[in-house]
Amino acid sequence: MDVSGILAEHESRSKAIQVDRLIPVEHDLGVLASFDINMLDETKLRAGQKVRDNYLKEVSREGAQILINELFSLPTTTDDDSVYASLPKTTTVLPREKPIPKEKPMTRWEKFAKIKGIQNRKKSRMVFDENQGEWRPRYGYKGVNNDDQKPWLVEVPANADPDKDQFQARREEKKERINKNQRRQQRNLEEGAMSEKRKHPQQMRKRELQKALVLSKSSTASMGKFDEKLEGEPKIKGLKRKFDPLVAAAGKEKSKNMDILSRVAKGDTSATVLNVRKAQRAINNSKRTKK
Amino acid sequence: MYTQRTIVFSTNCRKAKNARSKRFLTNRDPKVFENPKTSIFVRGSTTSQVILDTLKDLYSLSKPNAINFTKKNQIHPFDDETGIEFFARKNDSSLFAVGMHSKKRPHNLILGRTFNHQVLDMVEMGVERCTTIKEINSRVCAAGTKPLMVFNGEAFAQNEQMIRLKNILLDFFRGESADKVSLKGLECVITVTAGPTGINGEPGLIFLRTYTTSLKKSGVRQPRIELEEMGPALDLRIRRVRYPTDEMWKQATKVPKELHQPKVKNVSRDGLGDKYGRVHLGKQGIDKIQTSKVKALRKRLDNKPSKKQRTDGAES
Repeated sequence: MDVSGILAEHESRSKAIQVDRLIPVEHDLGVLASFDINMLDETKLRAGQKVRDNYLKEVSREGAQILINELFSLPTTTDDDSVYASLPKTTTVLPREKPIPKEKPMTRWEKFAKIKGIQNRKKSRMVFDENQGEWRPRYGYKGVNNDDQKPWLVEVPANADPDKDQFQARREEKKERINKNQRRQQRNLEEGAMSEKRKHPQQMRKRELQKALVLSKSSTASMGKFDEKLEGEPKIKGLKRKFDPLVAAAGKEKSKNMDILSRVAKGDTSATVLNVRKAQRAINNSKRTKK
Repeated sequence: MYTQRTIVFSTNCRKAKNARSKRFLTNRDPKVFENPKTSIFVRGSTTSQVILDTLKDLYSLSKPNAINFTKKNQIHPFDDETGIEFFARKNDSSLFAVGMHSKKRPHNLILGRTFNHQVLDMVEMGVERCTTIKEINSRVCAAGTKPLMVFNGEAFAQNEQMIRLKNILLDFFRGESADKVSLKGLECVITVTAGPTGINGEPGLIFLRTYTTSLKKSGVRQPRIELEEMGPALDLRIRRVRYPTDEMWKQATKVPKELHQPKVKNVSRDGLGDKYGRVHLGKQGIDKIQTSKVKALRKRLDNKPSKKQRTDGAES
């Protein structure tokens, strides 16, 4: 069987799309780009504008033809009368515009759900309401769950106080639910922040309480000596109210008073009165809030 | 040389007060699959007609992910990066083009990128000739089409400055990253050709040309492509290049683990297409083999063969 004729015919047909290049052209189809390192005709590029532009058009046409040949050889999918070519992954390293997002710490519920193996099932936004016979949102404006918020009649439960306003009670319950949710969200944020710092989330509460305790004790005149002690309160060391003796040693009283006088005379309120420890703490706090 | 800067991750100090603003902020948050990059076109304190035309045409090529600034700004990216970083942060854009004109640097065009709202890299070029879309006045391709890009010249593989420019241009005209492309919609072709270097070794011109395509029937599946110049046609010459710091480039090119294709291990195919895998059994615990309490291994006092053996022997 003589195939040479058929081959010759095919070759003549594909002449229209054939492009000869010495060095094979590299391409990155993921970005629809081709990189041709073949030699260019320098004389034409140095020539006048018209010659140069014509040459550039020629070279561009060939370069685009190579790309088109490659693109039309890719696996395709047809959809709605247009043919799509599935592009391969890009090989050129292109930078991102923002850093990779940090992993968010899991909330209490998420941890629990993971242990129990509870899957999150997406609920639809609209629910069919049998009473009204139409589709209403599950929550929010004109939602199905808000039906009992404006009732025309509320039954007083058997064990409730008859003088209590039940309508008010419903409104208060809803507010309480919202507040509870917000408190839980806040708690999740705080616990998340603590777990990011690799500290145990429950310990944060404890540390905060202890700090508050020490502060409150030191802010009373008697240094919290006569305050009501809480259960399980740790003993705080070093919290003493110091009293100078009534009659001080010979030179001490004089030097102390001279000190005060010199400070007042100077009018120096900044330098010597700086509490270094407090200042350092203030700086650390501002650094932490900046982060 | 350039200031060595540590990477500062921006905190979201702005808090959303309603769902709409929350959606706006989460759109601008770092994501695994990123938004298409937006570009801003800024004018310097003094501009020339050439550079204004260049900016206008580049803006029309980059639409719809582009913002054109019309007022002049005191901006010198190579000297002070805070100006352009501020614009990039406010407009949530990571690509920028600044155009200015001075006696020292006539028709100056700076193309650059940001990472995490900090300048990543920039290339400063002089526009020696700009033929606008309006001048050429031919068919224009629709906004938002992904262009085919062709880079001609070995300089784009050898010269460091050109390699950087190539990377920036690819990013600039990339548009939305897609894994499928409509074969009918390949309308736009942008070619960048490296011209010959000057006699004294000065950098050569870079010819940026834009064309619209028309696909003609050829005898085979792949069509024959014919080009028609659309504009803009720019003749550029590189002046300065600001490279990214190593650590910033490393951060910027990190691939999140969601996009990593898991390596398929232990699977191989032979010439016939059969799939092979190795089963690793591990070391057998020889000292843990049950040797006591196994009837077959029990030594018999009378050295008689076991019952089973005897019956077999009787049968045979």
